[in-house]
Amino acid sequence: MKLPEPQVAVLNAASATDETPIERLADEAGLKPETATQAVFELRDDGLLDVTERETVEYELTAEGREYIDAGLPEVRLYRAAIEAGADDDPVQMGRTIGAADLDGPEVDIALANFGRKGYGSIESGELSADGDADAEDDPEAAALAALAAVDDEDDSDAALADVDDDDVLDQLVSRNLLERHERTVRTATLTDAGVTALMEGVEATEAVDRLTPEMLTSGEWQDVEFTEYNVEADAPEVRGGKTHVLRQTAERVKDVLVGMGFQEMDGPHADADFWINDCLFMPQDHPARTHWDRFALDVPPIADIPEDLVDRVEHAHREGVGEDGDGYHSPWSEDFARAIALRGHTTSLSMRYLSGTEVGELEPPQRYFSVEKVYRNDTLDATHLLEFFQIEGWVMAENLSVRDLMGTFVEFYEQFGITDVQFKPHYNPYTEPSFELFGRHPTTGELIEIGNSGMFRDEVLEPLGVEHDVMAWGLALERLAMLTTGAEDIRDLHGTLADLEFLRDAEVTY
Amino acid sequence: MPVVDIDPDELRELTGHEEKGDEDLKSDLFGLGLEFEGETEDGLLQFEFGPDRLDRLSVEGVARSLRYQYGDDRGVRVPDTNDADYTFVVDEDVPDERPYVTGAIIRGVDLDEAGLDSLIQLQEKLHATMGRKRAKGAIGIHDLTMIKGEVLSEESGGNSITYTGIDPEGDTFVPLDSDREMTPAAVLEEHPTGETYADLIADYDRYPAIYDELGLFSFPPVINGRRTEVSTDSRELLVELTGTDQWTIDRMCNIICYALSARGATIEDVEIEYADRTLVRPDFEVDTKSVTHDRIETMLGVEFETAEVIDLFERSGLDAVVADDADASDEAADAETVYEVSIPPYRTDVLHPLDLVDDVGRAYGFDELEPRYPDIGTVGGRHERSRLEAATRNALTGLGFEDLLNFHMSSEDETYDRMNVEPGADYLGGGDPVEITEPYSEDYTILRQWALPSLVMVLENNTHRAYPQDLAEVGLVAERDDDVNTRVRERRHVAGVLARHDATYEDAKARLQAICGDFDVDLETPPTEHPSFIDGRAASVVIDGDAVGVVGELHPSVLVEHDLELPVAAFEFDLSALASA
Repeated sequence: MKLPEPQVAVLNAASATDETPIERLADEAGLKPETATQAVFELRDDGLLDVTERETVEYELTAEGREYIDAGLPEVRLYRAAIEAGADDDPVQMGRTIGAADLDGPEVDIALANFGRKGYGSIESGELSADGDADAEDDPEAAALAALAAVDDEDDSDAALADVDDDDVLDQLVSRNLLERHERTVRTATLTDAGVTALMEGVEATEAVDRLTPEMLTSGEWQDVEFTEYNVEADAPEVRGGKTHVLRQTAERVKDVLVGMGFQEMDGPHADADFWINDCLFMPQDHPARTHWDRFALDVPPIADIPEDLVDRVEHAHREGVGEDGDGYHSPWSEDFARAIALRGHTTSLSMRYLSGTEVGELEPPQRYFSVEKVYRNDTLDATHLLEFFQIEGWVMAENLSVRDLMGTFVEFYEQFGITDVQFKPHYNPYTEPSFELFGRHPTTGELIEIGNSGMFRDEVLEPLGVEHDVMAWGLALERLAMLTTGAEDIRDLHGTLADLEFLRDAEVTY
Repeated sequence: MPVVDIDPDELRELTGHEEKGDEDLKSDLFGLGLEFEGETEDGLLQFEFGPDRLDRLSVEGVARSLRYQYGDDRGVRVPDTNDADYTFVVDEDVPDERPYVTGAIIRGVDLDEAGLDSLIQLQEKLHATMGRKRAKGAIGIHDLTMIKGEVLSEESGGNSITYTGIDPEGDTFVPLDSDREMTPAAVLEEHPTGETYADLIADYDRYPAIYDELGLFSFPPVINGRRTEVSTDSRELLVELTGTDQWTIDRMCNIICYALSARGATIEDVEIEYADRTLVRPDFEVDTKSVTHDRIETMLGVEFETAEVIDLFERSGLDAVVADDADASDEAADAETVYEVSIPPYRTDVLHPLDLVDDVGRAYGFDELEPRYPDIGTVGGRHERSRLEAATRNALTGLGFEDLLNFHMSSEDETYDRMNVEPGADYLGGGDPVEITEPYSEDYTILRQWALPSLVMVLENNTHRAYPQDLAEVGLVAERDDDVNTRVRERRHVAGVLARHDATYEDAKARLQAICGDFDVDLETPPTEHPSFIDGRAASVVIDGDAVGVVGELHPSVLVEHDLELPVAAFEFDLSALASA
């Protein structure tokens, strides 16, 4: 018969006649106790061993208990000193007797308390009387301690307990903290008849191997081997896979949601004419946001082509307004200014290009479009502001859209990111009317934060573009959403060449 | 966004709501779109609001809006004005760059310190917003009793002042906050206010100047003379505004007049005498615009009755009548109903009837609207470029690269010098940069013309982090190219670096092969020379026959320059090479 190495060792150590505790089997077999225990049970399951379980109580002397074995219990010492001083005849002064008994510290209280309890005498007004008939020299507690100490070395507490069969005395010693009581299950094993037979027929250890090899699989050798056990709880060496940038993951998630809501993605230039970035948006040319402080103008010639009729219509909207009752801005407007190239400050330039029909042809309602792309703002670079960041931009074109449709769309969108209870604060943008700032509660902190800007494009925007239907639009910074979902506190850890690789490697995935 | 500082006691007095606590006021103002921002050192409450309602730049204007909100006032109110006594004569010497003037006379003024502070604040805020830092419009307010008008004619009486243009050294006066006579030119050089606004008129041949019989008393748009300085003792004021647009300065003037009228002052017209025409100002003419009932209902998604709409207009400080012969109380208000809406002369933001729809929405309460998901079917989808980028990023992370996201803006130092690259060279990275006209940081002066420098910078900033560091990026690069419509050729590049103690050319090429395999394109790597790479260990990346990039071991001088103490293998190529033909 072939058995795993530990089982062979245990089987050889076991006896058919004596119940051997597992600890002793482990010792004799040279195995770790847990390995021996496992082998014993496996052998029992195979019918080679019988296992008996018994609940046992064991007592162990505490350090204090051990001390009193030689020195004597404090109350006994006090009694001896009292008898010596003649306290069995007349009361003696307590302090002196304590001194004579060589008691100090906590021993004094222990001695006095037990002296009275055991009926060795009484204490009154600082004087001590002793009962001459008390049998202090034959104190059962002292005797029990001595008996336990005597057998301690023999490791046979059963015998000792036979001598000390008075449970009250043992309880007392435990409560005095002189003994510790241990209750445990002792398992013993004996060879069954089958076990004896197996041993007589000869038992061999199976081979233990580290690795499963291709040869073992082809030869069938795997059937006769035993695999060495691993410490499966130990940490493995660090392995890192590549990971999509955490901000890209958030962008992908946003794109998924928007595509699911029926939005098509837009694409277009990062460097563009102010015409597409601002003029189409009915931003007056003297608007403070169009000064050189806020934008990144590029040192290149003006844009080569923009549709001339569109330029005329946009200029007319700025100067005269649109519609019978429309008024224009009382601001200067020049085509040269509109043709200058800058980095886009928002991706609404893409919306203008698409709505104008120059990108994918004239659009008939209904339409939904979006982009999640970089924009450039000349802001202060700090923990929450970057010179470049991603803007989520979206718009819906349909007949007869209302503010309620706009609200319903955003409620649906933000709900996908765990932001419920979106609030709409009336706002002003030159290009939308009505306009709303969107606020939502942070899912964990409950703080009210701005999560977007939205509105219905004005007639002065749509009419020059040739759009005859309603268009509602909104935008928000992707980083704001990402900081909410990743818990990043410094946006520079995420984005740019100051990125901390450890932060990126440890970032939780977004899904 | 504009911020208005408000003394809550003044606001209570001006609205007639003494019972309102500060918190009530904050909440009522939030409803109007004015958000509490904090308190000034003097205990004034600061509110931020959108730059449309500039008539709310003073406590008087805010009080007016609140009274409409509370229902204490309804409809359009226009202050009565007395007939003109003063004429502003516009002289032919007036600077061509700043030809317009307007103004008003204010009588029966009784300003305490708070009232005077409010007036000065309003003036400054209007300068900052509509006035475009005084370039488009500048306000001067003077104590009228200190002005001696020139008598216009013997019969009719009447006074005049003159707006003209003078030589920068042509006259002298004592400006505010000074006690000596100065020429306008000297003010620009020596007076603190003059220095601040010198740029506005630096190019003018003649400087704007206003005269009365006693001489020069105002030097717009820079500073007033000290003679006519306004104090709490002033009872009569002369307001003058000059600028580059008549409409703009007229509206600024109206906002000032409405604020003073709210404090009990009487407004008196002035005549503005241009060479070719005469205007009577302030211009309190009430504008009207027409809105259809249908547009209101469609935009707000709510059904209204005519009377309800008219009520909402009046609560917005507007007046409305049904334009047709239809009766306002007619329940059969239908899509055809047209409202004639009157707009008070302090409003600067109503450019189109839809601005009036917004007012109806605000008065109704946008909070009251029930969101609904539009019942519109459209098909969603990703742009092809975005799908290609995502697939490439997927391939890179599958190969173990950490996906990075770097700024598109960089500097010549990073993209050329520190990489050994010569501007104008014909290898990858040598293209003409797109320069930012007025860079504010030397770190961001151009759009990067290639992506590897960004990745090497990330390596440089992470030498304390665990190796190997395999980093990749799919991102925008740009070159100056005048043949492109926007003059900027934008491309997406794929770049990767392998920083490991045993990195070799083979490591980079192996990954390049894997990516090209994924996209089923042919890769060849003929030897090339590139100063960022070690000679003999650099190759051109040729995909389907086109040279689109470079692969190799980075040159030790580049590594040392970036404080790297281990070899780096790298590649970069044009993303479009992976796209199916």
